[in-house]
Amino acid sequence: MMASIFGSVFSLDAVYVLTGVALLIFALMTFADRTNPRRVGSGCFWLTLGIIFALGSVAPHWLTGLLVLFLVALDGLGQVGRGSGETDLTAQAARAEHARRLGNRIFIPVLAIPIVTFTFALAFRWLGMDANRGALVGLGFGGLVAMFACLILTRSDARTLMNEGRRLNEAMGAVNILPQLLASLGVIFTAAGVGALIAQGIQQIIPANNLFLLVLANCLGMALFTIVMGNSFAAFPVIATGVLVPLIIKPFGVNPAMAAIITLTAGSSGTLMTPMAANFNIVPAALLNMRDQYGVIKFQFPYALTLWSFHVLLLWLLIKIS
Amino acid sequence: MNVQDLLKLIGVAIVVIGVALRLRTTLVVVVAALVTGLVAELPLFSHEGFFQRLPYLTKPGQTGIINTLGRAFADNRLITLFIITLPAIGLAERYGLQEQAANLIRKIRAATVGRLQIVYQLFRVLHGFMGIRLNGHPVFVRPLIFPMSVGAAQASGSTPRAAPSGSITMDDPLATASGSVPRAAPSGPITMDDPLATARGTESIERIKAANAAAENYGNFYGQNLSPVQAGILLVYGVMQGLGFTVGVWDLVKYTIPIVAASIILAIIQFTGFDRSLGKMAEGKR
Repeated sequence: MMASIFGSVFSLDAVYVLTGVALLIFALMTFADRTNPRRVGSGCFWLTLGIIFALGSVAPHWLTGLLVLFLVALDGLGQVGRGSGETDLTAQAARAEHARRLGNRIFIPVLAIPIVTFTFALAFRWLGMDANRGALVGLGFGGLVAMFACLILTRSDARTLMNEGRRLNEAMGAVNILPQLLASLGVIFTAAGVGALIAQGIQQIIPANNLFLLVLANCLGMALFTIVMGNSFAAFPVIATGVLVPLIIKPFGVNPAMAAIITLTAGSSGTLMTPMAANFNIVPAALLNMRDQYGVIKFQFPYALTLWSFHVLLLWLLIKIS
Repeated sequence: MNVQDLLKLIGVAIVVIGVALRLRTTLVVVVAALVTGLVAELPLFSHEGFFQRLPYLTKPGQTGIINTLGRAFADNRLITLFIITLPAIGLAERYGLQEQAANLIRKIRAATVGRLQIVYQLFRVLHGFMGIRLNGHPVFVRPLIFPMSVGAAQASGSTPRAAPSGSITMDDPLATASGSVPRAAPSGPITMDDPLATARGTESIERIKAANAAAENYGNFYGQNLSPVQAGILLVYGVMQGLGFTVGVWDLVKYTIPIVAASIILAIIQFTGFDRSLGKMAEGKR
């Protein structure tokens, strides 16, 4: 009895419902935000995402699928935006004043998130349950603990708390759901046999038993896709389904965690080299009034190339010695 | 490979072209998913419930594209779980989180420009470890790291010091307009008597700017995988699960450590070399 209550309170589903409720509150605040010219569309977007979060485990998949299409249609039609909010200088002065008053204590709520996450993972492992799940459940409860810690520390109210959360959420906007969509794209690519097709194409060039060349193709593909798209998160599902899993992990019996994370950061070298990653390479050049808009990329280029080569060697060596 | 097989790659092409053309990324990804499924002759919906009665939309025995999309999106909710951390971080920001972080940065006493970049990169790796995601270019680099770097360069003599007549023109609108800039930074042309020295001085300032942005990117990109609450780790977890492998989030963090170590060591080498090249440029001036 106790165990089942414990199990349902500290479960991934509980955390999803919690996140869903937070999104519902964000949505209601957005509907009421008169400074937001797109408040109806934006409110519908966060409301729908909240419903998917809260009910995703019980709703039929076709319904969730249609709701996802609705989300993307709202964003595609440019209906998701943010309010102007308060950006005046008095708020800035107030923040500086608070910083003086609270000092380093302001880090306590923020640090509570990783601490609770880690504690949950350890507790789950100690209880003989999945430590991964523990980390994810801990992330959810860490967010909750941090909220209370922050309220106590700042003596602020729940409305301000949720409104600040909404501000950050709207600042990121619809792009928030992109990693989740990309992971779903990977699943559909697999269902349609795209991964097998890419694997087949590479096998016509590279002999299936040449581990080094396969690792090279894997890391090169990851970097090139990232350079073209400017986003290693978008490149990862394609390379993982088409190269990494069918040609390296399965045939050679490689540790999937090790190979996957090294493949992801092999893409980060591509991000350092490409003007397509404008946020990281072009916007800063503008922000710093640089004469050469490619100055940042030029500085990063030798570093990125060296670190990429290190990825190839490391992945190959780790597979060899295991 | 036959023609129908090759057509399946259209989804990859849609993603690459759509994202490269800066079209709305969410839309590009979903269109790519739908088109790929349709080209592979998958039905839109599974053959069940009232969909059975609808013509063309289902095929017996096959899972529909919309069903797969819905299941995958629901399974991968964990990737977007960070939303639950936003209220606390947002409220902390309202109460001066970034201002306090900036206060900590100002306390950094680095003897040279290169060392300052290394310390800043480590500071950003620490952010990643704590699971905080932010774009440091507008928050830290422009208002703090850049002016501090110029200060360090002047102190160590690798960049022309301001002459008594105040020969550094402060024509940078950003520096003067933003209230959070502690002191105006010489990012514009530096007027010196010797035109050759002026050119070299400007050149070193431009290189310092590039180094500032690079330190931010290095620390951000490689440090962020040090926490299982970060989107990169959760994306890899989700994608691998979709491919039939349940990987441990802590294992992902563990195997990124050698990469983080390499990224720091390589940065130390690059920024130390950068200090030397700044010194050489200064010597050439004398």
